[in-house]
Parts: sequence; structure tokens; C-alpha cells
Amino acid sequence: MSAVIEIAGLRKTFHTLRHGRRVAVDGFDMLVEAGQVHGFLGPNGSGKTTTLRALLGLVRPDAGRMRVLGADSPEHLPDVAGRVGAIVESPQFFANFTAHRTLRLLALAGGVPTARVDEVLEQVGLRDRGDERVKGYSLGMKQRLAVASALLKNPELLILDEPANGLDPAGIREMRDLTRSLAEAGVTVLLSSHILAEIQLICDHVTIVSRGRRVAYGPVEEVLAGFDQHQWRVRVADPEQAGQVLGRAGLSVAVAPDHLVVTGVEDPETISRTLGEQGVWVRELVPLRPDLESVFLELTGGHEHVAVPRQVDGAPPSDGVIDLDVRESREVDA
Amino acid sequence: MNLVRAELERLAARRFVQLMVVLLAAAFAVTVVTTLAGSHRPSPAELSRAQAQAAENVRQMEMTYDRCLRIREGSLPPGENDYLPRDCAQIDPAQIEELPSAADYLSGVFVFAKEAEPLLYFLIAFLTLFGFLVGASYIGADLNSGGVVNLLLWRPRRPAVLAAKLGTLLGGLLGLSVLASAAYLGAFWLIGQASGLVGRTGGDFWPSLGAIWVRGLMLVLLAAALGFAVATLGRHTSAALGTVAAYVVVWELGARLVFQMLEVGRPDRFMLSSYLAAWLSGEVRLWDNNACGPGISGYCDGSYTLTWTSGLVVLLGLTGALVAAAFTVFRRRDLI
Ligand SMILES: Nc1ncnc2c1ncn2[C@@H]1O[C@H](COP(=O)(O)OP(=O)(O)OP(=O)(O)O)[C@@H](O)[C@H]1O
Ligand SMILES: [Mg+2]
Repeated sequence: MSAVIEIAGLRKTFHTLRHGRRVAVDGFDMLVEAGQVHGFLGPNGSGKTTTLRALLGLVRPDAGRMRVLGADSPEHLPDVAGRVGAIVESPQFFANFTAHRTLRLLALAGGVPTARVDEVLEQVGLRDRGDERVKGYSLGMKQRLAVASALLKNPELLILDEPANGLDPAGIREMRDLTRSLAEAGVTVLLSSHILAEIQLICDHVTIVSRGRRVAYGPVEEVLAGFDQHQWRVRVADPEQAGQVLGRAGLSVAVAPDHLVVTGVEDPETISRTLGEQGVWVRELVPLRPDLESVFLELTGGHEHVAVPRQVDGAPPSDGVIDLDVRESREVDA
Repeated sequence: MNLVRAELERLAARRFVQLMVVLLAAAFAVTVVTTLAGSHRPSPAELSRAQAQAAENVRQMEMTYDRCLRIREGSLPPGENDYLPRDCAQIDPAQIEELPSAADYLSGVFVFAKEAEPLLYFLIAFLTLFGFLVGASYIGADLNSGGVVNLLLWRPRRPAVLAAKLGTLLGGLLGLSVLASAAYLGAFWLIGQASGLVGRTGGDFWPSLGAIWVRGLMLVLLAAALGFAVATLGRHTSAALGTVAAYVVVWELGARLVFQMLEVGRPDRFMLSSYLAAWLSGEVRLWDNNACGPGISGYCDGSYTLTWTSGLVVLLGLTGALVAAAFTVFRRRDLI
């Protein structure tokens, strides 16, 4: 596996007149290897876009080393720019030009055959409207055009900063299929998104960033496993009684009106055996695995946000259980 | 090379550029039509009458000169109404630059040789404004619409990208200006041929018109580079417009007033407009209000001149410095 993107110790501080210094990226590291579909996650303002801009030579980092396709960035970026397709934060296009002309000019400037323009417009589903001015495009259509511009080079590395921004459900699915087919064709993809379920579906690796620092990285499965608390949801006729049985056996249990949650048990047999020995029959035993969303919120300190919509929904804010409820419903969704 | 081609296409596709070209063509058409409507080919009778009038005028000038010489010799007493120069050579028809010609006595006839210079100045003024606005809006709009960022993702060499843009702008503008001025002067020359008079185009005529033309083209390019540089520095088209407006109001008008109140000598020296005029017209003569104060007796010439060389040095220096600053800043700037 060869490294396609290597970032070490990246640091970037913005200086503004009004707010003074603002540290956007604070010693960030990242490794993306060839063939990966790599998710890049982080809350708003955590420094994802700034990292990508620095990587692509658009902003000047204060410290750190970056390499793209083996070339030092930004010094040797021109050597590899032809192999890197990128969109950074909903790129803007000249409103009076048609999509076709916009792409044609980019292709001309980059030395790509202009015949490619029609191919990529087709790929992103804009072929029929390629001759309209960008001014009249919807948000999602502009986003598609942006993706088309990144695809134009037939890149080896595709960097997409929130490509799903503004896309409708069908568009999101098309984008997913497109990403998959590109990945199958051997393109390395770095994808930032706030739609975590989507990332979990597409990506094999993730890097999670919070306040400009990497807080987790690796294969999605491993990152999730690291947060697996080995929890099980148990349904029985009388949760109260079953809770006491399990508690006496030394297991950690949380009791809800219609079920139990047992934490820290690797083998479910322990649970069913303990209950069975006391004459309590298990109706249902389901593993509660963390999903990317719960891990993300845990890591990035967004934990408290979970309770808020639940309270609005009118659910009782009894602590702990709520969190699990959320995970459980995820489980059902998936 | 491809980059330049793409930029040229981008430039030509700009609405603003197209609008200005249409405006130029419209102004051109209007002047041509009105000139054509107001001019006719003089009939032989008109022509001979005008020639006679011109000849009569020249004869009168010669007589006056002759009379002057004789009065100075003392061989003739001066008459009551005689106004005589100190040196009769001043009214020697042989030394006068332009003797009256038939063209001066024809009404309703377009004479190319007489009109070419003001027409050219008009064209230069238009193209200068055009160059400045296009230069500023071309990069300004591109910086704002994210076009530059998109381009840099393809071509991460910033100086090369900016230079390609500036080079394309200047090259395109030069091409357009040359074409426009050739078409413009050509059309009026034809009007002179077909329905007016060409006039005296011998001797110094073409060289001096050519000199104005070359200086004008240079000015057009300087204006475009200036607009481009200021808009790049300010990241916005309006930065260039604002800077010019602020300069005119604060410096050319405001500071001039202050200089006058403080009785600073030769305030025009500090004004770009003086150097602009010097460059365009070859030299300007300016007056120093303080030179001939009450303390000075006798003849005092308070004038001083600015030559085209100083005009060129100042304009080129200013534009060069701003362009260099724009490149330096653009190289290092964070592009968001
Ligand atoms: N041009 C700028 N000037 C000043 N501060 C900036 C600038 N660009 C970004 N920042 C700051 O840097 C931080 C990181 O911003 P960045 O855009 O990288 O976040 P992000 O992770 O992409 O967020 P999002 O998920 O909302 O896109 C934020 O605090 C932001 O306010
Ligand atoms: Mg962002």
C-alpha cells in the first residue's frame, strides 16, 4: 500500500482584524493509502476544509509536512496536480457561463481533451442541462457540476469536500454509486461529509478531527470496535426482576420499562444462562453496536446534543438510557 | 499556451467585454453616420471658390508681412490701425506652420486631415476606460466567483496563472485596440475620400498621428494593467474603481485645494493628471503661481514644462510597482 496523502503536524492559524487569532488546524496528522475510500469527519469548524485547502496549496500552513501522491505540497504540487481531482467547500462558478463552457475552459487550461466534458456531464447527470447558465442552477446542480469538474481530469485521487451538500436523496444515492464505481476502478477517494450513515456505507477508512486535531483514525470497523461497550438489549416479561437477577450475578445492568441493557458482556450466553438458571426466559437478545454517529459524537464532544431532540420529542430525559435508545433505533434503521 | 487560449476564451465570453465592444461599435457607427450625413463631396465650383478664398488670405498675409518689413526699414510710415509685431518674422507666411488651405473655407465638408487627431484622441479615451474597467473586472470577478481557485486546482503555479491572465488581457486588448483604431481611422479616411476631402496628409501628418497612436496604445495597456493590479490587491473589481474615485477626489481635487491654500509651488507636479497629459501630448506647460510674486520685477515667466519622458517614467513606475505588488501579494495570499 502506498501513501497517497500524508499529513504530519499541520498547523494553520487565521488572523482576522476583528477576532484576532483563530487556530483552525492544530497539529493535525492524516494518512490515506492508495485504493481507500477515506471518510474525513469532524464537527463544523473543526478544520476539515482548511486542511484540504492547505493540502491543495490554497492556504499557506504555519507548520507541518504534506505530501500528495508522493509530492511535497505545496512546492511540488504542480507535478501531480493533473492526477488530483478536488472540490473544496461548494466551489463557486462564474454564474454567466454555461456548465459546458465552465468545464471546457478548465479542460483547456489543464490540457485535458475537451471531449471529456460531455462524459463527465453525463456521469453526474447534467448532460441535458449542460448548456444552461450556471446562474439558473439549483444548489444540487451546482454541486454536481463541481463534482464533474473534479472528475474531468480522470484523477487517481479524488478529494471531495461535502459533495452531498444540497443533493436530493436520489442525488446522494447516485453520488454513492459513483464513488463506489470510481473506487472499484482504483481511484482513491477522500470524502468529507456530515452524513455519517452515508460515510459508514461508502467508506472503508475514516479520520475524525475535532478542534483541528485528529481524534480517531483507521478502518471503520476498527474505529467502531474501539467503542464497542459489548452491550446487549434483553427483552423479558419482567425487566425489574430480571435486572435484580443479573445484578446479583455481578453484571452491570440498566433497566428500562420494557427491556434491559447489559453492558460489558462479551458472550451473550452468560446472560441467557444466568437468567435461565433463575427461571427467567429471554424473549429477545440483541447486540447494541456503536455506529459512526455515536462514536463521532462521543469523540467530538457533541454528546449532549443527542438529548436535545429527544426532549423536544417529549421523551423522559432519564439519563443513560436515552443514549442507548438512540443507538438502538439506529440499529433498527440499518 | 493552452492556459492563454482558455483565458482568451474566458475574456471574450465575458458579458462586460462584449457589452463594451458593442458600445464601441455603436459609438463608431453613430460618428460615422453623422459625419457622413453632415459631409458632402465639394463641387468643382465650391472647391475653386474655397481655393480662391484661401489664396486671397495668403496674399493678404504676404502683404501685411511686406508692409511690416517696410515700416521697420522706415521706408513707410506706420498707419493708425497698424498692429506690428516686434519682429516681422513672426508673421512671415513662409515660416507659418500651416497656411490657410481650401479646406478651411469649405462648410459641410469633412476633411480627414483636420479631424483625424481629435477622433484618435476620442478613441484612445474610450479604449483607456475600457482597458481599465475590463482589467479590473476580469480578475476581480474571477477572484470573487472562485474561478481563480478552480483554476489553481488545475494549475497550482500562482505566478504563472496570474501572469497568463495579465498577459492575455494585455495581448487581447492590444489586438482589439489596433484593430479598432485601424478600422476607425480607415473608415474616416474613406469618408474623406468618398464624400469629403482627405486634406493635407503629407509631410509630418502621418508620423505625428502615428506618435499619438503609439502613446495612446501604451496608455490603454497601462490603464488595463493598473486596473488589474489594484483589483488583484483589493480582491475585488470595485477596489479598482474605488481607488480611482478616491484618488481623484482626495488628491487631484482635495490636495490641490490644500496646496493652493498653503501656497505650495507647482502643485501640478504632484498630480498624475499632469503626467498623463504630458505623456499623451508630448509635453505640458504648467504655471507656477508663486514664481511671479510681488517681489519680482520685470518680465517673469512662471511656466515650467513636463515632458513625455517624465510622464512615461511616472506612469510606468506607478503601474509597474502596483503590478509587482499584486504578484507578490497573490503568491502568498490565502485563497478562500
Ligand atoms: N478565512 C478564514 N479566516 C478566518 N478564520 C477562518 C477562515 N477560514 C476558516 N476559518 C476558521 O477556521 C476554523 C476551521 O474552519 P473549516 O472551514 O476548516 O472547518 P470545517 O471543518 O470545514 O467546517 P464545516 O464542517 O462547517 O465545513 C473555523 O473556526 C473557521 O472559523
Ligand atoms: Mg468545511
